Amino acid sequence: MKTIFSHLKPYSIHIVIAYTLTFIELASELLFPLFLGILINEGIMADDMKQIYFWGTVMLFITALTFAAGIVNSFYAAHISVQFAYSLRERLFSHIQRFTFEQLAKIPSSALVTRFTNDVRQVQNTIFMALRIMAKAPFLIFGSVIMALVVNFKIASIFLLTVPLMMLFLYFVLIKGANMFKRVQHYIDRINRIIQENIAGMRTIRSFVRSDFENERFSEANRLLATNTTKAFRFVEMSMPVLLFVMNLAMLFILWFGHFHVVQGATTVGDVVAIINYALRTAMAISLLTFISLAFSRAKASIERIDQVLAERAEEETSGDKYTEAIKGSITFDNVSFRYANANEPTIKNISFNIKEKETVAIIGATGSGKTTLFQLIPKLYEPTEGNLFIDDKPLDEYDIETLRNQIGYVPQKALLFTGTIRDNITFGKRDATEAEMIQAAKDAQIHDAIMAFPNRYNTLVGQKGITLSGGQQQRISIARALIRKPKILLLDDCTSALDLQTEAKLLEAIAKYNCTILMITQKIRTAKRADRIILLDAGKVSAIGTHEQLLQHSTLYQAIVQSQSEDVTYVS
Amino acid sequence: MFHKVFREPFSYEKIPLETAIRKEKDRATNTWQTVKRIASYFLPNRFKLSLVIFMVIVSSLLGLYGPYLVGTAIDEFIVAKKTSGLATLVVALFFVYLFHSLAIFLQNYWMVGISQQIVYTLRKQLFEHFHQLPISFYDTRQQGELMSRVTNDIDNINNTLNESVIQVLASIITIIGTIIVMLWLSPLLTLITLTTIPLLVIAMRWITRRTGPLFKIQQKDLGELNGFIEEIISGQQIVKTFAQEERVKKEFAERNKALRSSGFWALTIGGFIPKVMNMLNFLSFTIIALFGGLLALKGHVTVGVIVIFSEYARQFTRPLNELSNQFNVLLSAVAGAERVFHILDEKVEQFDEDDAVELDTVNGHFQFNDVTFSYKDAPVLKNIHFEVKPGETVALVGHTGAGKSTLINLISRFYDYDAGEILLDGVPLTSIKRENLRRHMAFVLQDTFLFEGTIRENIRYGKLDATDEEVIEAAKKANAHTFISRLPNGYDTKLDESGSILSQGQKQLIAISRAMLKDPSILILDEATSNIDTVTELLIQDSLKRLMKGRTSFIIAHRLNTVTQADKIIMLENGEIIEEGSHDELLSKGGRYELLYKGAVPNDKEDV
Ligand SMILES: Nc1ncnc2c1ncn2[C@@H]1O[C@H](COP(=O)(O)OP(=O)(O)OP(=O)(O)O)[C@@H](O)[C@H]1O
Ligand SMILES: Nc1ncnc2c1ncn2[C@@H]1O[C@H](COP(=O)(O)OP(=O)(O)OP(=O)(O)O)[C@@H](O)[C@H]1O
Ligand SMILES: [Mg+2]
Ligand SMILES: [Mg+2]
Repeated sequence: MKTIFSHLKPYSIHIVIAYTLTFIELASELLFPLFLGILINEGIMADDMKQIYFWGTVMLFITALTFAAGIVNSFYAAHISVQFAYSLRERLFSHIQRFTFEQLAKIPSSALVTRFTNDVRQVQNTIFMALRIMAKAPFLIFGSVIMALVVNFKIASIFLLTVPLMMLFLYFVLIKGANMFKRVQHYIDRINRIIQENIAGMRTIRSFVRSDFENERFSEANRLLATNTTKAFRFVEMSMPVLLFVMNLAMLFILWFGHFHVVQGATTVGDVVAIINYALRTAMAISLLTFISLAFSRAKASIERIDQVLAERAEEETSGDKYTEAIKGSITFDNVSFRYANANEPTIKNISFNIKEKETVAIIGATGSGKTTLFQLIPKLYEPTEGNLFIDDKPLDEYDIETLRNQIGYVPQKALLFTGTIRDNITFGKRDATEAEMIQAAKDAQIHDAIMAFPNRYNTLVGQKGITLSGGQQQRISIARALIRKPKILLLDDCTSALDLQTEAKLLEAIAKYNCTILMITQKIRTAKRADRIILLDAGKVSAIGTHEQLLQHSTLYQAIVQSQSEDVTYVS
Repeated sequence: MFHKVFREPFSYEKIPLETAIRKEKDRATNTWQTVKRIASYFLPNRFKLSLVIFMVIVSSLLGLYGPYLVGTAIDEFIVAKKTSGLATLVVALFFVYLFHSLAIFLQNYWMVGISQQIVYTLRKQLFEHFHQLPISFYDTRQQGELMSRVTNDIDNINNTLNESVIQVLASIITIIGTIIVMLWLSPLLTLITLTTIPLLVIAMRWITRRTGPLFKIQQKDLGELNGFIEEIISGQQIVKTFAQEERVKKEFAERNKALRSSGFWALTIGGFIPKVMNMLNFLSFTIIALFGGLLALKGHVTVGVIVIFSEYARQFTRPLNELSNQFNVLLSAVAGAERVFHILDEKVEQFDEDDAVELDTVNGHFQFNDVTFSYKDAPVLKNIHFEVKPGETVALVGHTGAGKSTLINLISRFYDYDAGEILLDGVPLTSIKRENLRRHMAFVLQDTFLFEGTIRENIRYGKLDATDEEVIEAAKKANAHTFISRLPNGYDTKLDESGSILSQGQKQLIAISRAMLKDPSILILDEATSNIDTVTELLIQDSLKRLMKGRTSFIIAHRLNTVTQADKIIMLENGEIIEEGSHDELLSKGGRYELLYKGAVPNDKEDV
């Protein structure tokens, strides 16, 4: 909670100004009836037209002044609240950018997104309101109570009982309401998640004719959201008639005892009327108060949710003394094991090997044997649970992460393109690339000709995740995206699966010219054979390392793989 | 430093609204139509709504009657010091207060119910509409942007309905009441007081002409920000490996700034409304004082009337003030609603033609007659002509981007062809109901998609009423059983967002199990085993072969040794069929297929 409101700190002076302006408005509102009194006494009663004009002008002037104050207040209140929301979102985003994958897995992206928009806005609106009307309610209530007490302590003492009681009640409503709204926000997350999933998986859903099923699933969540929202709103809004009733009971009390005192001659009529007047005013302020408490309980719920994200400790910022030189590209795995946080057993077990710079190594292995996992350790997306990883004989930890990653070209198994043009996607990792560099990368990735065949060429728009392209086109753009960075280490994760052999061969030839260390995961023996060495993984362990011929001789597993592609093999050799 | 404090709030860049304002006429009708459309959602709840209105009237009247009774109490018992009878009055007041609170409680209670019902309906409609929109709708939309419509935009409507409707009703009732009383007291002063109304109209027009578009821009900016965040977080893996955090932050900041500035102007200018009302309140007060005073000097009115009048002027403007505050909320709701209706008005996948039929069983006899199709302008498939006999297995091969998946998109009617005809058992595809058609098919799509939930649930997606045994059986056939049973919770292992705890190949195995479970008449496999190792693939091939037996099947694969056994191989290039025949036929022909199969690099350039 503290961390969130620290975003208001730079605006403390603005806040003071905003409140001052609100008080000007409030003061003139209280003063106005006074002026009317003077105008009546000195103008009408005294039959003095000049006085009427004079006080009328004064009132006009004050009207103008108040209006000006109000307008300026609008600017300040809006400024403070949007700035607050802006920097809070900024903070959230930077924070999330430093999350590890384990942390990202904890909160689904759909729920993170609601924090940014829905929750932040809830807080923003509450602050805006707080800067404009919140001062009014407590001011009115406490002012009236104190005035009433001053006028006649005995009669007004009922306020001493009811007002704290009401405050307590309101506090209870706020706390409980906040919890209820937190649940509401939780269901919004859920709805958001279902929608996200449905949009992303629309083709699968339609192909299995599961729209009704999904509609029902959504209905359930939707219904829960509706009932929980109903409950929360009803609960908080119930406080207003209750408070009003309590306040009105106090009024009855005042009437009764006021009457008693007046009849006994203990108080003057004027005093009682004044206190009743104050009681009426307080009652009025109460409706304002419930409005505020509604906003506050929602804001409180949202703040806690934002806090939950901010409380996740983010990846350490890399400190300055890390190694930031260019790498050569040798890679050493020294007895590396890795276990996913949510898995029981390690996925990768005691892996050791050494890859020389500029070497090309193929990694082959069954589905789920840990190939992708192994790759992800190299750019430090995950850290080994045991053992060490060296690049150029330096442990990975000594590298500045950004420098390291900038020298690695990663082509993931699933292309994962972004909304935007093809150009945006290829230059994703190098925004300052020249046109020539981009075209070269595209040519090497064997996608240039296909792009040129599109009406808008490099400016062709691509849908989210690249859905408007064919599978192979997505893969090759993803390859171009890695190549354009001229990496020292190139990681290709089974990214030629949608390519025919010809195209693949051309691609690999072009890549060979890049003069870098290449690790490629593949299922095809034909492709693996092109590498200097092959690493065969089996259930997270290195089963064999060597050239094609060596493995063919020594590894039965390898022989089985070759056998499974035998037709292919016979045609080639 | 200090002058910054005074300048900052006024140094936001203006947002150009000219175009929006110029089109004000359309917009006004547009806004009005949106409001009418929201209002139409009240219809099913009209009974409850009339109860709410009744309660609002009751509470407003009681709200006036209470103070009136207090007034009499003061006059009779406190000023005149009457000693008996106060008890009855107090009891009467007690009940007035009780019913007042009760009325307020009930109006809130019912109103919340109504508004949540409406919001529920809106969300439901929007979601169901998502399922009716053509697949092409999603080609260009960001997920997060669409999500924003269901959450942020509908949330705006939600807030309005909860807070504003009652306020608006109450305000209208009070205003009418006060005007009547004022007219009764002094028509002249009433007229003078009402001179502020034109001012009010002018000011409100000035403001709403700006806030209308501003709120829309704000909602749009919010949606875009939502879209950006959703996409970046989903693509975190790429952002991280490419070390693009800083750049992405900058891009985020741009969108964040856009939202900040539209939010600023919407809040600021929207915030003028209560200030203007306040000013008019003061102004009418002053006018009454001034003119009233002058009239009083001439003996036209009494001081008492001035005092009461000024009080009523306040009474009169207070609800107006509240009304105006709500106006703001209302405008942002209209902006949200417009965005929701905008989607609801998107044309749905053309409803199945009226004469569309449902086929109970299909044999799987396909005839493609000169089918031509384009996504946008350039044709992707040209004059596709071939026949598939019932039970045949057809392999579609060709370079990437040749149009293989597109052909599948047509068979499944994700898209409809532009020219030519596809016949299934002699019936044109376009006159078969989409859902019915897909019910006869099982797909493994090129882009594997798994849902959040357990592995069991994911496999069962293929056949919702499948027993656990059937699920396991299907998984065994797809060779997924081994790895599933090694997982900590076996079939009950929870998959999170799009199954990220599985390897790519494992996901495909699940997708294949899903299709195996469905047991369809027509089987469609688009690169179903592209990420699966060849040893496992061979094992699955057996079960697949058994599955495909007697069913028409379409297979797409790049590893050609998986398609050699197909009855018919169709080779596509640039959207045209260039070769057709069985594996051996095509090989002996020595054409493009042979080149593709052997992977020899031909001398000519052709690639795309
Ligand atoms: N939704 C779409 N909107 C516009 N163009 C599309 C869309 N989907 C595919 N295309 C284009 O249509 C052409 C054929 O794509 P298709 O997906 O059918 O290829 P494919 O033969 O399946 O290739 P691959 O083997 O790479 O999967 C490509 O040029 C692709 O860019
Ligand atoms: N985020 C994760 N959390 C827990 N387990 C995971 C996670 N990602 C992968 N695994 C598990 O680790 C094992 C290895 O996965 P990995 O993705 O490395 O396989 P792979 O060799 O790349 O397989 P494929 O050829 O299918 O892509 C699998 O059994 C998988 O279920
Ligand atoms: Mg993998
Ligand atoms: Mg395809």
